[in-house]
Amino acid sequence: MSIQCVGIVTSLTNGLSEREANDAITANVCKGPQQHEEVCLGLFALLLTEPPQAQRCYRDLTLVNRDGMNVILIKINQILMEKFLKLQDVCRTQLVWLVRELVKSGVIGADGVLMTLMKQIAGGDITSKNLWLAENVLDILLDQREWVLKSGMLIAMSVYTYLRLIVDHGTPALLVLRQKEVDLCIGLLREKFMECFIIGRDLVRLLQIVARIPEMELLWKDLLHNPQALSPQFTGLLQLLTARTSRKFLACRLTPDMETKLLFMTSRVRFGQQKRYQDWFQRQYLSTAESQSLRCDLIRYICGVVHPSNEVLSSDILPRWAIIGWLLTTCTSNVAASNAKLALFYDWLFFSPEKDSIMNIEPAILVMHHSMKPHPAITATLLDFMCRIIPHFFPPLEGQVRQGVFNSLTFIMEKRVLAHLAPLFDNPKLDRELRSMLRERFAEFCSSPSPPTEGRDEGESVSLEMDNHVLLDKEDGCYDNTEAAFSDDEEEVNNKGNKKREFRFHPIKEAVIEEPADITPYVDQLDDTMKEKVLQLQKGSDTEAHCEVMQEIVDLVLEEDFDSEQMSTLASCLAELFKGHFRGDVLPDDITEESLEESVCKPVCLVFRNLCQMQEDNSGFSVLLEMLAELYQKQPKIGYHLLYYLRASKAAMGKMSLYESFAQATALGDLHTCLMMDMKACQEDDIRLLCYLTPSIYTEFPDETLRSGELLNMIVAVIDSTQLQELMCHVMIGNLVMFRKDSVLNILIQSLEWETFEQYSAWQLFLAHSIPLETIIPILQHLKYKEHPEALSCLLLQLRREKPSGEMVKMVLSRPCHPEDQFTTSILRHWAAKHDDVLGEHIKALLIKNNNMPRKRQSLRSSSSKLAQLTLEQILEHMDNLRLNLSNTKNSFFTQTPILQALQHVQASCDEAHKMSYYDCEYEEPSSKPPKSRRKAPASSPRSRKGAVTPVSNEEESASSSASEEEDSKPKAPKRKRKGSSAVASDSD
Amino acid sequence: MTTETHVKDIKPGLKNLNVIFIVLETGEGRVTKTKDGHEVRTCKVADKTGSISISVWDEVGGLIQTGDIIRLTKGYASVFKGCLTLYTGRGGELLKIGEFCMVYSEVPNFSEPNPEYSNMDQMKNKTVLSDQGNILNNNSAGNDTTNGNGVNSQGSGSSTTPLQGGRAGSGVGSRANNPGGTTVNGKETRRSTKR
Repeated sequence: MSIQCVGIVTSLTNGLSEREANDAITANVCKGPQQHEEVCLGLFALLLTEPPQAQRCYRDLTLVNRDGMNVILIKINQILMEKFLKLQDVCRTQLVWLVRELVKSGVIGADGVLMTLMKQIAGGDITSKNLWLAENVLDILLDQREWVLKSGMLIAMSVYTYLRLIVDHGTPALLVLRQKEVDLCIGLLREKFMECFIIGRDLVRLLQIVARIPEMELLWKDLLHNPQALSPQFTGLLQLLTARTSRKFLACRLTPDMETKLLFMTSRVRFGQQKRYQDWFQRQYLSTAESQSLRCDLIRYICGVVHPSNEVLSSDILPRWAIIGWLLTTCTSNVAASNAKLALFYDWLFFSPEKDSIMNIEPAILVMHHSMKPHPAITATLLDFMCRIIPHFFPPLEGQVRQGVFNSLTFIMEKRVLAHLAPLFDNPKLDRELRSMLRERFAEFCSSPSPPTEGRDEGESVSLEMDNHVLLDKEDGCYDNTEAAFSDDEEEVNNKGNKKREFRFHPIKEAVIEEPADITPYVDQLDDTMKEKVLQLQKGSDTEAHCEVMQEIVDLVLEEDFDSEQMSTLASCLAELFKGHFRGDVLPDDITEESLEESVCKPVCLVFRNLCQMQEDNSGFSVLLEMLAELYQKQPKIGYHLLYYLRASKAAMGKMSLYESFAQATALGDLHTCLMMDMKACQEDDIRLLCYLTPSIYTEFPDETLRSGELLNMIVAVIDSTQLQELMCHVMIGNLVMFRKDSVLNILIQSLEWETFEQYSAWQLFLAHSIPLETIIPILQHLKYKEHPEALSCLLLQLRREKPSGEMVKMVLSRPCHPEDQFTTSILRHWAAKHDDVLGEHIKALLIKNNNMPRKRQSLRSSSSKLAQLTLEQILEHMDNLRLNLSNTKNSFFTQTPILQALQHVQASCDEAHKMSYYDCEYEEPSSKPPKSRRKAPASSPRSRKGAVTPVSNEEESASSSASEEEDSKPKAPKRKRKGSSAVASDSD
Repeated sequence: MTTETHVKDIKPGLKNLNVIFIVLETGEGRVTKTKDGHEVRTCKVADKTGSISISVWDEVGGLIQTGDIIRLTKGYASVFKGCLTLYTGRGGELLKIGEFCMVYSEVPNFSEPNPEYSNMDQMKNKTVLSDQGNILNNNSAGNDTTNGNGVNSQGSGSSTTPLQGGRAGSGVGSRANNPGGTTVNGKETRRSTKR
């Protein structure tokens, strides 16, 4: 099109003087709109591509155009939006020059074009092309200031753009540019604040990021303390923070290409298929250190601009939260990570259901919800951020921020984005401190009434006078550590680090003075007899007396006329009164029959005892279960206390299965969930108890435990080496079975994700069992060099004790060949020394089998993602590594008949093409045999490396060979052969 | 222009194929050299119907990036080592027409080794394919004049293949010497081979 137009223009003007040319063009333009457009576009194209003619073309354009340059403006916009990245440098320079000219001439619509040009400046990109553009647009804005001030939108857009770009221009080399940018922004903000005000709350976000710059600091002072100085209509920061940011601004910091790609991902790519697209996007836009600042722009864009239709929302298209999750997890700098989190929650802080949209706050809640399972650390870091941002965002507005976050959460529930928040806020996957902080800050949203004191909160940590020995974890020290590490979003800190701090070292314990429990809200709802008993419980201080009263209460409950509606109230009272029991260690320091029996003599245990003594068909049985279930609601620790009771008390001997009835009676309703929750609670409170319970849990509930990697991880995550050793002894003695053939492989595979010590512990426990190694050999497919050193080393040491089986050899050879990965070579070498005959036979079988299979290595190599599939090359490559390794030894593995036979088989049958392409592999092997046979190879390898390596184990073979291929292929006795070949070899050399 | 063939419809022996696909894996790190010095890369490409391997010769291969959307013209399909493989035929070309924004399906992978093809492969080695001169291990001198990109090998250093002369090849880079008017008219992708 433009080419044609250029043709038209040149043919019109060719050979004419300037005046004549001008007249010719004008005359042509007058013929009609089509001719007008052709001439304009022709001049435009010439202007872009022929810098020397640009001045003249622009002049002609201004003279002949009759539409206020409209055709040109449309064309420029189109080029900017669709092809800017593809423009050559000359065209770019000319285009920017043209925009400047349009601005200078005050063409109507030039502000729009300038804003589109501004959009091409990529965030997080300090390559010279991008800096050049940023600087040139900036110059236009600075030079044409008077003109700029006439367009409100241009003012706001320039401020938004350059406030953001300042962040990228912090290196010393760019300080001059940055200063110019700061001057522009400060000038516009101070002179035209209300124009900038239309940006909305994201203006504050950007200003906060650059607040350290001196001029900005001064501006901040006015924003905070003297808003009127900026504009009489401006009442202060809150006014700005409650104004929703217009989508225009959120969108303006993405280049058209970024926008296209993000929109493609959120509208066309199916969930589960996004990996490559993410990689490509990352490669292009997020791979450098300076590009980290772009994540905020992307997150704000997704929250504020990408609002998919219901149709898309209900389809299997990649959801927004998944993209956010990706952007958060791939973040490489802490600053960028905390800015990214702020960007994600920014619309929460001053959320108002009337003004703001659910779509803006939805991604944050969903990314937390969906990450809980696969990436609990992400959920934890976000929840933590959500709690802390309330007081820390801006202390004078703490109340408003709290209200904003509350409004968000309420609205989320109202709109049924999530029906309940309790599973999110009170999830066992979160660590204890975080959960208690969430409970503290968001009590309203944790549906179950504030469960047990975790010790931290003085307000809650009330106990009974009678129990003076209540111990309280002194955790505040630990807590500070977490706080200090808060800005790290790395899993280590939030998950593993914390875990260690929390559990590996027992916190210092210290007696505290407790205040009496407050049961007044409940006690009046009880009928008189019950009320009296409960009040007795509150008064007394003697355990025995308490037990008696408790028995009376249980009896009352079991009476037929007991009003079951009181159960919940009674449970609340009891939970409150017995708070003290649930603090501190349950298990006595010295475990003796007496001490154990004593430890189960607490009043709470009376309920357990009654349950044990009752027949299951007794109607009272279910009443007691109901009572326990209610208590469990108020005091989840009762779950593992029951487990302890059933294990420790003589009265409960053989009644462990009662726990299953209990689990089914609880709100959780099933054994597995209940058991896992209780073991988790136990793990958090008392590691010794966890170890104590482990054998019986595994014995009693094999179906729930033996398949649970989760449970095993709970245990190995907190035990120390002594406890590990004790557990191993339990296994060897026969008290404990932690692995079963059918599930052990699966669990070990899960364990690959764990910490080093956890993994070693899991392997030690596994090895304490006598499960044949064969069972778990397939794990080798999952073990990647460098990623799984723990499992690899454990497995290596085990394999060396085994006599190689066909499956083992196959698995070992299936490992991808990696020059530094010595695993396969190590084990093969060991086997070659100890079990050469067996190994030889297995390798022969594999070689022959694979050789007979269709040749498919080409495609196999290309699909590297696939799990190890054995190919002939692989075998040969591993064999070659082994050969090289053995070359200095006297090992005669490669001279065994089976091996020689197999290699001959391979060599004989491989076709020409194969030989060509896979030369190295094919001929490495025979090379360990007589050199002569190598020389006979049909085509000689271009690389002669093998020639050099050939002198394998010289003493024996140096020597070579009438042992030509034909001869070799005939089976011969190994001994004879060896002799024979060496004899001839010396001849040939 | 002729219509495009979908990856699922590519069968050994088909010629004159026009295919639009997105590049999933480039042959980076697995560059093979032929006897006469040509670099050969095998790229995994896909469209919405499945994926396939394409064998790309010489410099062009180095310019291809994952995520590129490419139009192949005058391609042909044959079996190489039991795997269905796509090649650029004589006079054909690979042209980048976009990037990223294309939905694809990685499965089925039509270049999975297929035992049925093995026999054909051997057959073709001897007969059909040698006249196109594109089989990797073909070392007969007569075929040195063409390579897998369908371009004369003698000229391949200087002649322009669309992707040559600058990464991104969205056309513009390779047209550094072209009259620049073309860069803005929206028809860039059609015109790059000819000068």
